[in-house]
Amino acid sequence: MVKILAEDLHVLTGSYALDALPDLERTEFERHLPHCPSCDAEVRGLRETAARLAMTRALQPPPGMEQWVLASTYRTRQLPPLPVDHQRRAQVSRLFAGQRGRIPRRVAAFAAAASVAAAVALGVTQVSTQHQLETAQASDAAISRVVTAPDARIETTGTRAGGSVTVVASAALREAVVTATGMVSPPRGRVYQVWVMSPSGARSAGLMAGSSTLLASAVVPGDRIGITVEPAGGTSKPTTTPVAVLSA
Amino acid sequence: MSRPDIRPWPPKTVPEHEPDLTALLALVARGDHRAFELVYGELAGPVYGVVRQVLRDPAQSEEVAQEVLLEVWRSASRFDPARGSAAAWALTIAHRRAVDRVRSEMAGSRREQKAAPVLPHDDDVAEVVAATLDHQRVRRCLGGLTELQRESIKLAYYGGYTYPQVAQLLGVALGTVKTRIRDGLIRMRDCMEVTW
Repeated sequence: MVKILAEDLHVLTGSYALDALPDLERTEFERHLPHCPSCDAEVRGLRETAARLAMTRALQPPPGMEQWVLASTYRTRQLPPLPVDHQRRAQVSRLFAGQRGRIPRRVAAFAAAASVAAAVALGVTQVSTQHQLETAQASDAAISRVVTAPDARIETTGTRAGGSVTVVASAALREAVVTATGMVSPPRGRVYQVWVMSPSGARSAGLMAGSSTLLASAVVPGDRIGITVEPAGGTSKPTTTPVAVLSA
Repeated sequence: MSRPDIRPWPPKTVPEHEPDLTALLALVARGDHRAFELVYGELAGPVYGVVRQVLRDPAQSEEVAQEVLLEVWRSASRFDPARGSAAAWALTIAHRRAVDRVRSEMAGSRREQKAAPVLPHDDDVAEVVAATLDHQRVRRCLGGLTELQRESIKLAYYGGYTYPQVAQLLGVALGTVKTRIRDGLIRMRDCMEVTW
């Protein structure tokens, strides 16, 4: 029985993407993959890379092949689409991927941003980097809980600051995960601040960088999520027009 | 060149614009045979090429490439554009099928009977392939890797070897190969500005 530790599994992304894992390790890795969004994201980027290697090897196929394949399609039933739940999970795991698959940095940013949200929820307005790192572990779990919730809903929109922002919200958990990717860096001395907006007003869910993820708590259906540019350290109420607003 | 059946793909007469494979696959998923013909036109060359690269034997390669392209028809509804490009999706299926074929042959120890003629060194093959900008970029980026990274990736992907086999061939430790493959691919990804 081959048993591989989770830390060791992550280094296998490259070999897996090249189909170079021996059968047992491949099985093990594929079992691990659904539980490791960062591995999954990295594998996708590396497969895309491998595909470029394949493209350079393109050859004129044998002449009879086209006819055989086209004829075969007429006697081959197609698979139905996967259930929506499957697709949603796939979409969710993409959230963690950002655009480039640079895992370590992204995971750090994502964890740090999430801990800002947690700290804000506890009434702490200024948190040190050290503190962010210390609380990253718990927040990571909280975020996973939301994005894998059976009732999780997803909405994505472009922002006036470039890039896009995605909200995954669970009414049952009353939490929402907010992920921004590719927003331009805010001007010097400014930050992006995320708000949970309800008829009774807006409350801060935390600060974020141009590309990061945070968790907003006590979010109820009908609330909206807004992002504004605010002075460094954040403010207690939004002072500028949101660059993006989504429903939670 | 002594290999008349290795010709560049796509043929030079093909117009430069690339059909939108993602949109075509959505049509294919709904049973559109005409859309599938266009998908075939785009993917058959790369699919056959990568399968042939791994298997070497032309007849076997044809058989596997056919299965792969039929699989593209069959499972078009399972392609999720959010998770990668259509070409990568198809080529992932193709490479894996080729590797699985190698392994099942090894398991049945039928490999010797089927000992395939050896292709020219892959640099020769590369020369007969249309030297598009993308290909030049791949070569440039491969050139930016360390020797060990480059050899590990080539043996694993083009050679269809497992990483322990690569380690044995290169005479280095298992852990070294695992990390070199990953580091090298990540460097390739960043060099080619792959955006997935």
